[in-house]
Amino acid sequence: MVLTLLIFIPIAGSLLVALLPDQRAALFKWIALGVAILELVLSGLAYISFNTKQVGYQLLEQADWITVPLGNLGIASIDYVVGVDGISLPLVVLSAVVLLAGVISSWTIDHRQKAYFALYLLLTGTVMGCFVALDFFLFFLFFEFMLLPMYFLIGLWGGPRREYASIKFFLYTLLGSLLILLVMIGLYLSVIDPISTAVAVGFISDPSEATADVVRLIQNQLRYYQLNPAMVVHTFDIRYLADGGNYLPNAFLSLTGEPIVLGLPARLLAFWAVFIGFAIKLPIVPLHTWLPDAHVEAPTPVSVVLAGVLLKIGGYGFLRIAWGLFPDGGAEFARTLAGLGTLSIVYGGLNALAQYDVKKMIAYSSVSHMGFVLLGVASLTAEGINGAIYQMVSHGVLSAMLFLIAGVVYDRTHDRRIDSYRGLMQPMPQYATLTAVAFFGSLGLPGFSGFVGELFTLMGSFQSLWLPGWYTAVSTLGIVLAAAYFLWTLQRMFFGPFWSRHETSTQNGVSVLTDLTAREKLLLIPLGILALVLGLFPNLIFNLTSTTVAQWLEKFMVQ
Amino acid sequence: MPDDVPPILPLLTAAILLTPFAGFLVLLRAGHRSAGRIAVLLTGLGLVASVVLAMSMPVQSIALRINWVALQHITFDVGFRLDTLTALMLMLVHGVALLVQLYSISYLHDEPRLPRYFSYLQLFVGAMLGIVLAGDLIIMYAFWELVGLASYLLIGFYTERPSAVRAAKKAFLMNRIGDVGFLIGIFLTYFYTNATELPTEGASALPTVVGLCLFMGCVGKSAQFPLLTWLPDAMEGPTPVSALLHAATMVAAGIFLLLRIYPILSPDALSIIALVGTITAMWGGYSAVFQHDIKKVLAFSTVSQLGLMVAGVGTGNPTGALFHLLTHAFFKAGLFLSAGAVIHGVETQDMRHMGGLRKTLPGTFVAYTVCAAALAGLPLLSGFLSKEVILAGAFQWADVQDNGLAYAIPALLLLSSGLTALYMVRQWQMVFFGPYRNHALPLQQVHEPDALMRIPVGLLALLSIGFWFSLNPFHAQDSWFFDVFAPATETAEVSWLAPVSIALVALGGYVGFLLRNHDNNAGAMTRSYVRLSVEYGFLDAIYQFIIIKPIRQLATLLYRTDQRVVDGAVNGLGVGSVVTAHLTNLLDRWGVDGVVNGAAWVAGRLGRLARSVQNGRVQSYITAAVVGLLLMLWWLL
Repeated sequence: MVLTLLIFIPIAGSLLVALLPDQRAALFKWIALGVAILELVLSGLAYISFNTKQVGYQLLEQADWITVPLGNLGIASIDYVVGVDGISLPLVVLSAVVLLAGVISSWTIDHRQKAYFALYLLLTGTVMGCFVALDFFLFFLFFEFMLLPMYFLIGLWGGPRREYASIKFFLYTLLGSLLILLVMIGLYLSVIDPISTAVAVGFISDPSEATADVVRLIQNQLRYYQLNPAMVVHTFDIRYLADGGNYLPNAFLSLTGEPIVLGLPARLLAFWAVFIGFAIKLPIVPLHTWLPDAHVEAPTPVSVVLAGVLLKIGGYGFLRIAWGLFPDGGAEFARTLAGLGTLSIVYGGLNALAQYDVKKMIAYSSVSHMGFVLLGVASLTAEGINGAIYQMVSHGVLSAMLFLIAGVVYDRTHDRRIDSYRGLMQPMPQYATLTAVAFFGSLGLPGFSGFVGELFTLMGSFQSLWLPGWYTAVSTLGIVLAAAYFLWTLQRMFFGPFWSRHETSTQNGVSVLTDLTAREKLLLIPLGILALVLGLFPNLIFNLTSTTVAQWLEKFMVQ
Repeated sequence: MPDDVPPILPLLTAAILLTPFAGFLVLLRAGHRSAGRIAVLLTGLGLVASVVLAMSMPVQSIALRINWVALQHITFDVGFRLDTLTALMLMLVHGVALLVQLYSISYLHDEPRLPRYFSYLQLFVGAMLGIVLAGDLIIMYAFWELVGLASYLLIGFYTERPSAVRAAKKAFLMNRIGDVGFLIGIFLTYFYTNATELPTEGASALPTVVGLCLFMGCVGKSAQFPLLTWLPDAMEGPTPVSALLHAATMVAAGIFLLLRIYPILSPDALSIIALVGTITAMWGGYSAVFQHDIKKVLAFSTVSQLGLMVAGVGTGNPTGALFHLLTHAFFKAGLFLSAGAVIHGVETQDMRHMGGLRKTLPGTFVAYTVCAAALAGLPLLSGFLSKEVILAGAFQWADVQDNGLAYAIPALLLLSSGLTALYMVRQWQMVFFGPYRNHALPLQQVHEPDALMRIPVGLLALLSIGFWFSLNPFHAQDSWFFDVFAPATETAEVSWLAPVSIALVALGGYVGFLLRNHDNNAGAMTRSYVRLSVEYGFLDAIYQFIIIKPIRQLATLLYRTDQRVVDGAVNGLGVGSVVTAHLTNLLDRWGVDGVVNGAAWVAGRLGRLARSVQNGRVQSYITAAVVGLLLMLWWLL
């Protein structure tokens, strides 16, 4: 029940906000806050009840949704299936944390509150849906539905170029969705649900009677064309999509490597299609240019959610769908993919060095840090994959913190340029201290979570039998660059004698550059502590991930 | 963990390691007066605990470990190692830190952010103890970087001073470059041994590249060539910080790392390490000769001495390097703290504005003289003993090398020790002799510091006397130090070395004496050999030119590419689609619709034509029939 509530409580909250009259506007943020807290509690429950030693999905919930017989094309079936494993659960918990931070940070939103909070809650529900859905169709539904609130949140509450940024974000992601959609349809036509098929052909009368033997029998019959095509039940269920035995032998995406499309076996082409779809989301160079624009224009809380949560759906899609359903593609192109990761790390880092807008600097640093995720995934080692998941969680916390920090100065002066300030340490000592904490955490100082993520992804890529060692060596440049752009920003904005382009802009004789408010501290300090705790005790994450990852990797051992 | 480990040891270790970190947090909120007392108390307790630990330690080394990360079968531990080396370093770090903090209470008494200062010092102590206790490369790396953070915070302590902040950033970045090498070294070690534990004695050597990558960590932290330029800039920090971090302990961490990984260093790696150390020793030595800033002379002398230690390790003499690390820690900390007393007195760091202070600051003068003599390598003092051990080891190492060129290494090291005497005598002369030259502050106002500053200086000077280390003033072989750290091996003895090096020191000192007034005449600064020294071989200018500027330009260029090319392609695609849409629209209106409309028009015309034919007149019908008939006939025939 937990996972379903996780999805539908925010959606119900969204409806509630939408239906309440505008006179009750003061209530909206409280509803959002209540929902966000509830989400955190629910995800905490999921965390506690998760058995770290158990292989496979847990907290499963399943319901038939749509079943249509299509004559000779078999039977179409779309199910409502949700569940979590070691890959998705850390991201669910992360999302709950970041989304809560986003609500608190939204407290200052003062116009069109109803629409804002309704959309925000809709976003919350769809994000959670993305991470827990185990039916590809359901996943895709949430994936698409996420775009809608995001588009409006940037487009209506954003900065001066918000329309450009939001349409760019929308089109980029839509292009990715299109590729994913094509592959989804291809998979659907190629894969059967052995248990429902067994019921359809009459081997068993109820799915609950299914045993491993029944599944094996059906899969054997499938392999030797002994099943009546009209009785075959097609499925979107990711659990079945991930099992090679369920593929129709002559289907488009069958494991035989036929047919050849554009010079590549269809499966490998499909791998690239979903890879690109999710690489846009992560984002990976050269598909990243929507990110800086979206961040720069988005209001602070939306930036926080975008960096903290939405980017992670890209990495999650890699593990669950691109590599998860097409292990042959992941193995075949390991070098190229890791190379793209390395490119992102270095390219993002260098670009961050050239920025004058704090938010853009952070956005490019995100590109660089997400490169580590791809590098870790492409390494196909336990260290690398666990490290990649960890890196996503760590970046979620730290980037949320970073964007909140950028928001602090923007709230006061509406100017985020690094060269508009010097010596902010003097009027805003607490702000400077917390910024230093976030910067050092992000540049991978041991003790903070950033270090662990980078350490393990790099170690994995170095250990990997698929990758040459110099990939790792080049990627370590990202660590040096991170130190350079963060410390340089710290030096330029916070140290030295105080000066500001807005020195004279005062309200009632009080300088606008006041130190952190209680609400800002309430946001920044817990996130900083979280990054520290995760950094000191990485097993908090690795406990969840290691069993799942070990099983996940078995697909690559066989080859 | 062996069964016979006294249960007190893990507890004691944890207490020693965690106390300074607790101090770091507590002191952030402490009051101005209490901060120094709390800090001194904590470090004092740590010193006592370290002594207790050293006394209760069994002979063999002890490993303590707690699981940190478990990925199914792959595990990484937080591992610590206790052995005699650890015990010695624990006492050294605590001892120097205690003296420096005592000194700081007085030296920085009117600093408004004093609690923060002591808090950072505690952070440093904790991180440094972590390095010393680490039994695992990853753990060592973690504390290694934390030490870098402490160094960053302390160098940049005066945050409103741009040069200090720049120096702090430079130190952190240069260290990061070294650290990245270190990190790759860790990956390589893990790749070859499937573990990240520190090698134990008797471990077999790993490929050269592993050792060299790990050595990169030392190059950064111990300011070896070519990553040495951060150390002189680090002098922007408060002087006691320079004494503790950038002379006695932190910069020695690189040497400590080399001692820990010594078993896995291949002969080739060792040779390269020896070479780097030698270059550094010369580079630092020559750079110290013409500096004017009293602290920069000392900073470059530190660089040079660290080079000597590294070369000691490289020439197969880790115990000698450790010995020099120990003696150097005392006399160099003593030198920095006395320099602090001088600066405190004359309110300038420029030696050209000092002079004649031996009468005004007699206590400081004595302490300074003892420490400087130890550094220069005068007999009876500790520096003489430890330098001799390294030089003798280097000559013996050269004896067994295939290549005769190997003698260049000990020869250059010998030369660099002559340089040491040169720049120390010059400094000693410029500060304490000749006329007083600071016109901004009358000599009457220059005064000795209070007891809180004098006592640490005096103690360090006292510890620079050779007697504590060896009863034999000319040779350290029978000392307690070698009994503990290298009981089995015979230390090298090269009979001609002591007289030759004493002669070289005398010669160097004489040249230094001659150079005492060199910089007072105008125009001295423009001479190329002076500039080469003052700008330390133009290293920073070279880095600016070949690394920093190109990277910044590349960053700008890439960003422009990102905007114009990558994003340009995206926008182009977007604009292209819109244009195509408009074109299609036009085509739709004029083309497709045009065809449709045109077809309608043609049909209409045809219709009208056909209609006009059927006009009901018989004559037209007949004409048409005849014409038709004729045409048919023409076509048929």
